[in-house]
Amino acid sequence: MSAEFQVAWQVMKWPLAACLLLPPLLVYLGLHVVKREVIFVDLALAQVATLGTCVGLILGYPFSARVTFWISLFVTFLAAGLFSWSRASEKRQVPQEAIIGITFVVAAAGVILLLSRVAGGKEELEHLLTGELLNVTKAEVGQRTAIFAVLAAFYGALHKRFGLISSDPAKAFAEGLYVRLWDFLFYAAFALVVVSFVRLAGVLLTFAYLIVPAVCAVMLAERWMPRLAFGWGIAVTASLVGLWASYRLDLPTGAAIVCACGLLLVLVSVFVSLRREPRPVH
Amino acid sequence: MISKLAAAALAVAGSAGGPIPPAVAKITVVATTPDLGSIAREIGGDAIDVKTLAKPTEDPHFVDAKPSHIVTLNRADMLIEGGAELEIGWLPPLLESARNDKIAPGTPGLVVASQGIRMLEVPATLDRSRGDVHALGNPHFLVDPLDAKIVAAQIAAHLSEVQPQSAPLFKSNLAKFNTTVDAKMIEWQKELAPFRGAKVVTYHNDFVYLAERFGFQVEETLEPKPGIAPSAAHLAKVIEKMKAENAHVILVQPYQNRKTAETVARQTDGVVVDVSQQPGALKNTATYFDLMDTLVRTLAAAFAEKK
Repeated sequence: MSAEFQVAWQVMKWPLAACLLLPPLLVYLGLHVVKREVIFVDLALAQVATLGTCVGLILGYPFSARVTFWISLFVTFLAAGLFSWSRASEKRQVPQEAIIGITFVVAAAGVILLLSRVAGGKEELEHLLTGELLNVTKAEVGQRTAIFAVLAAFYGALHKRFGLISSDPAKAFAEGLYVRLWDFLFYAAFALVVVSFVRLAGVLLTFAYLIVPAVCAVMLAERWMPRLAFGWGIAVTASLVGLWASYRLDLPTGAAIVCACGLLLVLVSVFVSLRREPRPVH
Repeated sequence: MISKLAAAALAVAGSAGGPIPPAVAKITVVATTPDLGSIAREIGGDAIDVKTLAKPTEDPHFVDAKPSHIVTLNRADMLIEGGAELEIGWLPPLLESARNDKIAPGTPGLVVASQGIRMLEVPATLDRSRGDVHALGNPHFLVDPLDAKIVAAQIAAHLSEVQPQSAPLFKSNLAKFNTTVDAKMIEWQKELAPFRGAKVVTYHNDFVYLAERFGFQVEETLEPKPGIAPSAAHLAKVIEKMKAENAHVILVQPYQNRKTAETVARQTDGVVVDVSQQPGALKNTATYFDLMDTLVRTLAAAFAEKK
């Protein structure tokens, strides 16, 4: 092992661990979100989580304090409640996407308002967006992995139910499921995932991990398991490419992975459209 | 046999041409900010290799972490930081990742520049609501040339400990640095002497040391509290005060919001002056002395224009 590699390893090992251990659950949730066609739920929840963090900051607690985490989680639960409630049964006057969009915009503006009263608010704003993946510690990665493992078990055990509600809500209602309650559980666990991850990786990277692998997977496969496998493959590839580029070209780590995600999506789209090309036109 | 080998080695080294190769390896010195790096270069000369973490145009309070920062810190023989919590927002996690015992606290490999400086604005009581308040005082002291001398002496002492063989070189470089500062001080004092008591407004509270040394006054800052973005109500107060106190010069560094300063200047018949505390941010300011020359000249010109 060369000395060069050893230095690179030392610098990048915990960001790498975070990028390999945590996204699988995000990819799974992303598949649900794509199915439900509420793409911006992730962005909105991530932004609300950030708003909660800022409430903590303005109350004088440091970013890394446990209190800040709990405040952030509480605020995000409120939003989760709002989203599960707004998913009305049949007669829907206001589309849910509108509620989600409004939540995002108001949360984003709230963050700006709060940070205008925090020292170095402008810079803090940027950090909350792009995260500080490069500075993650062993403890942070370990803690997150434990939380994610528990939540993965939760989603795994209830997958059938959540899958039905996501893909065929009408049937779920007909079967007499308490859709709103299950939805709240779904979003509450989702909120915990987002709050845990967004503090490490920032709003942009959280959104990218949730959506890009899921969208690629939907283009590449039809069923849950193959989609999950493709999504994980895409997430791992984007992480490796992004981390490598960040180290080689000395770029901000989080933003590099987001751009790697975007690049992969383009490649997958090109691949998919080429594969469809030879079909005869009737 | 050994002497034969040594002779052969010498012959090879000699045949490579040029002066005798240095007997010791260069010391790799990492400075958090370019001003510290520039002073280190004056003291270390060819015996050291200086790398800087913050870019000259970057706010030293907020530096974006990049992988190269950790690599650079990992390979450093010596680290020079400003101290007094200047880098508290970004340096500690980088140091933790870099894991370099050579630059650990208490070793000769770590220079904390603020140690030995007579700090201004040390708060009597610490209150979080007062913004980015520095418990240890205002950390923007290097624009006072006499403070630069103190820092230079500290760097020389640490370098001599890290590499005793080169101590005489560091000592003579330090003497040269001090002589230059003393000579320049007379020039700078003369240039700014006509403007004693003049009033300036700054964006962040980053020029108090310069003001104190050269006898002018920082009347107000555009930030209501250090690190907090200017609010409308505060700016209205600043404008009123500038009119009442006849202050017309507003100093802005590259990473600060010039538009805010321009808005205030429009309403106070003021002039926005681009300055920097970091060598390399503005044209022809490669070294600490160039920087101070430019700073003093720009300031004198602005005072003269608005007299």
